[in-house]
Formats: sequence, C-alpha cells, structure tokens
Amino acid sequence: MSSFVLEASGLVKTYGQTRALGGVDLRVRTGESLAIMGASGSGKTTLLHCLAGIVPADTGSVSFLSGAGRVEVTALGERERSRLRREAFGFVFQQGLLIPELTAVENVALALMLNGMPRARAEEYGRGWLAALGLGGLEERRIGQLSGGQAQRVAIARAQVTGATVVFADEPTGALDSATSAEVMQALLDSTTGQGRTLVVVTHDADVAGRCSRIVDMRDGRIVGERVPAGAAGSVPQAAAATGADASTGAASEVRA
Amino acid sequence: MIARVAWLFARPGSAGVATLALPVTAFAIVTGLLLTVLGGAQTFWTWTDDIAFTYQLLAVVALVLLVVPLASLGGAAARLSARRRDDRLSTLRLLGATPATVSALAVVESAVLALAGAVGGVVLYFLIVPLLALVPFRGEPLGIDGVLLGWPVLAGVTAGIVALAAVSAVLGLRRVVISPLGVRTRQDAPKLSWLRFAIGAVVVLVSFALMGALQVAGSAIVLIAILAAGFGGTLAVLNLVGPWVIRLVAKGQARRAKRPAQLLAARTVLESPKAAWRQVSGVAMTSFMAVFAGVGLAIVDLAGAGVDRESLELFTDIRTGILITVVGSFLMVACSVGVNQAAGILDRRDLYRSLDMLGMPEATMDAARRRAVMSPLRITAIGSALIAAFVMLPLTGAALIVQPLALVVIAAVLAAGIGVVWLGLAATRPMLARTSAAAS
Repeated sequence: MSSFVLEASGLVKTYGQTRALGGVDLRVRTGESLAIMGASGSGKTTLLHCLAGIVPADTGSVSFLSGAGRVEVTALGERERSRLRREAFGFVFQQGLLIPELTAVENVALALMLNGMPRARAEEYGRGWLAALGLGGLEERRIGQLSGGQAQRVAIARAQVTGATVVFADEPTGALDSATSAEVMQALLDSTTGQGRTLVVVTHDADVAGRCSRIVDMRDGRIVGERVPAGAAGSVPQAAAATGADASTGAASEVRA
Repeated sequence: MIARVAWLFARPGSAGVATLALPVTAFAIVTGLLLTVLGGAQTFWTWTDDIAFTYQLLAVVALVLLVVPLASLGGAAARLSARRRDDRLSTLRLLGATPATVSALAVVESAVLALAGAVGGVVLYFLIVPLLALVPFRGEPLGIDGVLLGWPVLAGVTAGIVALAAVSAVLGLRRVVISPLGVRTRQDAPKLSWLRFAIGAVVVLVSFALMGALQVAGSAIVLIAILAAGFGGTLAVLNLVGPWVIRLVAKGQARRAKRPAQLLAARTVLESPKAAWRQVSGVAMTSFMAVFAGVGLAIVDLAGAGVDRESLELFTDIRTGILITVVGSFLMVACSVGVNQAAGILDRRDLYRSLDMLGMPEATMDAARRRAVMSPLRITAIGSALIAAFVMLPLTGAALIVQPLALVVIAAVLAAGIGVVWLGLAATRPMLARTSAAAS
C-alpha cells in the first residue's frame, strides 16, 4: 500500500488571466511535515487549497489516503469535499480566524459538534486539547481576551481535535513575534507529526520551514526545488522521509516526541 | 483631493456592487415610504371641521410609529455604506491622511449614496401616487391633487435623508479617526444591568394605572394625553427592557445549546444584545401596534351599529390608517433586516470563508444567522404584545382583548411581522453563499 497520504499530479489552476498553478506534481508522505515555500504570488496557498479540496483544480488530480482507502479528492462534489475537510483535515490560518463570540473551548468543540458529537463530550475533548497545548484555565476566555500566540494554539487545538489525518497550515506564525512563533510551531509539530499525523505548512519564514522534515520551493506556480532541512525536530526521521518508507500509524507512534 | 480619492474608492471592488446597491435601495425605500405617508396625511391638514383634529392626531401617531423603523433602516443603510470603506479609510489614515480628510471622505461618500437613494425614493413616490390617490378617507378617494407633495417637502425630505446618512457616517467612522488601526477588538461581552428591568416594570405599572384613570378623564384632550403617555412610556420601556430580556434568554440558550447553529446563534446575540434588539425593534413597535389595532378594530366593530355617519366614517378611516401604518412599518423592518444582515455578512467575510474551509456546511452558517435574528424576534414580538395587552387592560377590559376579531388581527399582524423578517433573512442568503464560497 502506498504511504503517500496525499498525491497530486498535473495540477493546473488559473484565476482569470493569472496562472496560479502550472502543472504541479507533489506527494506527501504519511507522518511527515512538509513546508511549501515561495514568494507572494508563487502559488503556494493555491496549492494548499487544491490539496485540501478547498478549490477544485482546473486539471490534474489529488488523491487522499483515508482510513477507508484512497479518495479521489478532485472527483468529489462540493458537499463531499466539505465533509472531507470537516472530518479528515484540520486547518490553521494566519489570523487564527476563530469565532470571536465563542469561548476558547467552544471554538475547539465546535469542530466536533459539526461532526455530530454531543456538546458535553465535545467540550471535554476540547478541554483536553487546550490543556495539552498549555491553555489550561483559559477555556472560558473569549478569543479577544487571548494573546495572539494563545489564540493560535486554540486554532491548533481546533484543527487537531477531530483527529485530522492531515493538518494544513497557511502562514500559521505570520502574525506572531519570533519567540511566540517558535512556540506555536513547536506546538503544531508536537500535535501533528508528534502524533503520527501529517502537517502541510505554507510559509515564507525560513525558521518555520527549517523545523519541518521536507521543504518544497515554488516559483510562478511550479515546484522548482526540494530540500531536507538539517536537524528538523519533532518530525519523521530523515531516512524514513527521504526513502518514503512506510510511516503508517504503527511506525509513526514510535517517533512520537 | 477629497473628490478624487472619493471617486477612486467609489469604483466597485469584489463585494462592491452589493455594498453600493443595498444602501442606495434602502435609502430609496425610506424616502419613498416617508413621502408616501406625508402625501397621504397632508390632506388631513386641509380640513377645517371639528373632526379634522382627530384625523391630524391619528396621523401624527402613525408618523411617530413609522419614525422608529424609519430611523433604524436609515441608520442601517448609513452604517453599511460607511463600513464598506472602513478598511481602506484605515489604510489612508496609516498613509498619513489627516482625520479631517478621512471624515470628509466618509461623509461625502455616504451622502452621495444617500442622495442617489433619496432621488430614487422620490421617483418611487411618484410611482406610488396614482395608487395612493385611490385610498379612501371620509368616504372619498384622496385624489392625485390631495397626495402630491410640493417641491419644498420633496427637497426637505431628500436633504434630511442625506443629513442622516452623513451623521451616521461620522459616528460610524469615529473609531477609524481615533485609531489608525481602527479595528474592532471585541474583548468583553457587554453586561446589562437588571436595573433596566426594574425601571421597565415600574413604568409599565404606572402606564397600567394611568390607563385605569382614563375612565374618569373628563375631556377628550386629557384622554388623548393619557393615552399618549401610556403609549409612549411603554414604547420607551420596550427599548430599555428589550435588550436585557434578549440577553437573559440568549444566556440560557447558550448554556443549553446542543447543535452548532444553536450555540453560534446564542453567542452572536450575547455578543451584542443591543444590536440584536435594534434589528427587531421595528417589530416590537408593530406587535405593540397590533394589539392596539386589534382592540381598536374590535371597538370599531362593536360600536359600528347605531352611530352617526361621521363616526362610522371615522371608524372606517381608522381601520384604513392602521392598515397603511402596519404595512409601511413591515416594509421598513424587512428592509432593515436585509441591510443589517448584508452588513453583518460583509463584516465577517473572512470568518465565513474560513468556516467554509473548515468544512462547516453553509446551511449551518445560515441557520446560525437566522436563529440569531428569529429567536430575539419571537421574544420581542410576543413580549411586546403581552405588555401592550396588559397596559390596555384597564382601558378595554379583558373581554375586548379576547374578542375573536381582535385576536385574529393581533395574530395576523404578528405572523406577518415575523414573516417579513424571515423574508429579509432569506433575501441575503445568496450573499452568504457567495461570500463564504472558498473558491475565490
């Protein structure tokens, strides 16, 4: 069985006259942390959106290895893609984009409630994740009462609480200072690859990318290079990542930090 | 310079068409309805006989009732037209534009939109004139000449609408002028004191007592004064107590919520009970009116037999007036809900888009938004009707309030009021769909 949790081939996406993706092939291994780097307008966010089934590519395909087998993301309708995002993927955005009216724990629990879990249980899970991310005692705070770093960790908890197979992060530390940024990135890695899950992060911050197990560089809608940063922490061992060796759940649990 | 920047800003952007068209439409409706009511009422002031005073008084009551939803719609439209530019005005501030320039820009833009809307409203009024001319008062149609307003009135109303928009723009943008970052940092949910409730209860009881005193009132003037005081006092109380009750109910709902939409809706209301109240306060007025109308019509109906022709005419005309006022206020409430919702959706564009990315079904977002309006609406409509019935009790006795005709009218008006708000919500759903669609 293939160990690639996501496989994209020949992705092309144009917006009006602008070609955001010009034929991208990319394979993401189970349990790795992949950084997509590039300048503004290089197509990295569009690539993330196509991989996550947020926008359909014009041509090309994306497939996702779920617990129940391989799913052709590009063949799914709007409703199914929405469901896939809800159940199998987690998202962390630059601005957090948490719901300001809800408390921290409600923001996290909402992700589970959307999948039909009763509220009391969902909040219990939410509390667990918040505590694990160092936010114990802040559960009842509203988002406006949290610092940027704290809010971003709530967003990480929300992305993780459903047990997402893949977490997509778009400039997760873009709005934070460097110390907080390092903390948040560590929390993100611990809660994803540290648990055998996969992280795909779009960034233009070399420090953030340097903590991942693999980096692809993009320019003008194409992947122009691929690197393995030295000494990536909290990620799949280099050898396993580089050879594409099986990093299924069993193997991943061994690398739990 | 201001004119040039204003022109640059006026070019529609991604969400531009809706944000331009909505306030213009709202201003047009406000102007059109206001002119229609003024046109219909002006005839009353041409009469000189004894009963003319009663007509004038009733017309003033109807106008006052319409002013509340009118002002709330005008304010909503002005806020929407101002909000569109918040971000860009903040940027201008950061680039070094002076507070005076920013204020001037905001005022110019809102005023231009309001002017466009008001002109549209005048056209709308002229389209309504032939219909309005057919409305019978004192046994005969008002006639075209009776309902045509003079140029001074048309110009005055237009100027008033433009001024309202300008003032709202200045108030709405004070934030941006004070701080270049001009962002809403919602930190604490507002707290409302129980004192509101206490004051409200006292005023309702006083109104109740005043109405009781009506039976011993000697003259018609005293009677009308007491009626006005009871009426006005209770309306003021609604404004005071409404947000407090809405917050109390939403708090319980937030605690008990089981599904995502329920939780989101309750928290949205708790975020700003006053804003939730503003959206539906127009309906509070109409449901309040519904009770008066229902009972009034029941009295007219009972008193209909065996009175002179003039009184009979008056009763018929009161019925016509009530109908026009109810329809007018419903139209404005529906528009104001639509405009408020549109502004809310635009305000939370990024959040909606991110929720869509997370996989939240659009139906859930829509349900949450609908609930956040409909739940306060139910409380408001029913609560206002109950308070109105209580205040009317000493005047009419329970027998009249439970007259079949009164009950039917009250129920019909309440149902229609809730229905138009629902329509206002439904009308903005396509906008939510467009905004949340992640594929952008």
